[in-house]
Amino acid sequence: MNNPGLLPDPGLKDIWVYLSASPLLGLTITLVAYGLAYRLYLRTGSSPWANPVVTSVALLIGVLVLTGSTYDDYFAGAQFVHFLLGPATVALAVPLYQQFSRLRQLWLPVTISLICGVVIAGGSSIGLAWLLGGSTEIQMSLAPKSATAPVAMGISEKIGGLPSLTAVLVVLTGITGALLGTKLFEWLRIKDDTAKGIAMGVAAHGIGTARAFQVSPQMGAFSGLAMALSAFATALLVPWLVDLMAAML
Amino acid sequence: MVMLRGFLVLTAFFVIGEALRVMLALPISGGVLGMILLTLLLMVRGSISDSLANASQALISVLVLLIMPGVVGVFFQADQFASEWLAIALALLAGTFLSVLTTLWVMQRAVAGRPKAGTGE
Repeated sequence: MNNPGLLPDPGLKDIWVYLSASPLLGLTITLVAYGLAYRLYLRTGSSPWANPVVTSVALLIGVLVLTGSTYDDYFAGAQFVHFLLGPATVALAVPLYQQFSRLRQLWLPVTISLICGVVIAGGSSIGLAWLLGGSTEIQMSLAPKSATAPVAMGISEKIGGLPSLTAVLVVLTGITGALLGTKLFEWLRIKDDTAKGIAMGVAAHGIGTARAFQVSPQMGAFSGLAMALSAFATALLVPWLVDLMAAML
Repeated sequence: MVMLRGFLVLTAFFVIGEALRVMLALPISGGVLGMILLTLLLMVRGSISDSLANASQALISVLVLLIMPGVVGVFFQADQFASEWLAIALALLAGTFLSVLTTLWVMQRAVAGRPKAGTGE
């Protein structure tokens, strides 16, 4: 708000100074950026490359940089959107409950592979970040990255990571998993849609699930199940895993 | 008004989750605790009210919007991680790769180990 470089006209500048001081503007640009990014995503046939999180955030950062806004100014408006993450996290209980019926005969293999997947996802990223000289903050931000964003951010905050960094890592993990997973299944000639779906949901949450639905409805459904269960498992296992690894490393 | 009732259930469980977290000093956020409690309640009850289903659907469909303000924040803290981006990128790539591979392998092993496992739908 200090230096609106884009607006030379003094009249417009006055309006800008007035508006940017109110939370209304931060809220509005967030909604506009989301709307535009979502359109682009649908236009590209829901390609993981055009993930709406990446494009909307790039757009927002562009606007904030061009208008010389600080994050605090922006967040004064965006906090209203941000606050709804709490109730939205609770809302995930509904799909989680609805997916439980799919477990029926497969509950044992799914539970075992889920626990392995969650522990390996968290453990390997903590271990690797530690090996490569990443700070504790980075390691903790990476640990819950395979869970869906609101859950991962909630865990990160409580184990000493940075929730906003975790949000970015969650999105990047989702995109990586969606692209890498699909290739990996081709190379390994995996045909079983159930196993592919479970692996995708555990490693790449909602973004992987969106990709899985493009492959087959069965893979999508199991990915959705795995994503819901992995949020649950990550919340229960990762804080404990972190303590264990802290004692070892 | 119907959706508001569902929203009230969500905020109520959020409040209960927060209260439990503070009282028991748990390392999990109030939202996640609320999610776990509500899931358990739904499993016990065995049904979901329309208002709760609608309110949840409304919030979940805009999850991307809800995480945007947090994600934008990283850009303003980027200097802090400038020296660590390689460690972050490698840990992320390898971690994701390993977790896909492990889950897939264990899942296939576990299903193959069963005499006549269900094949889903």
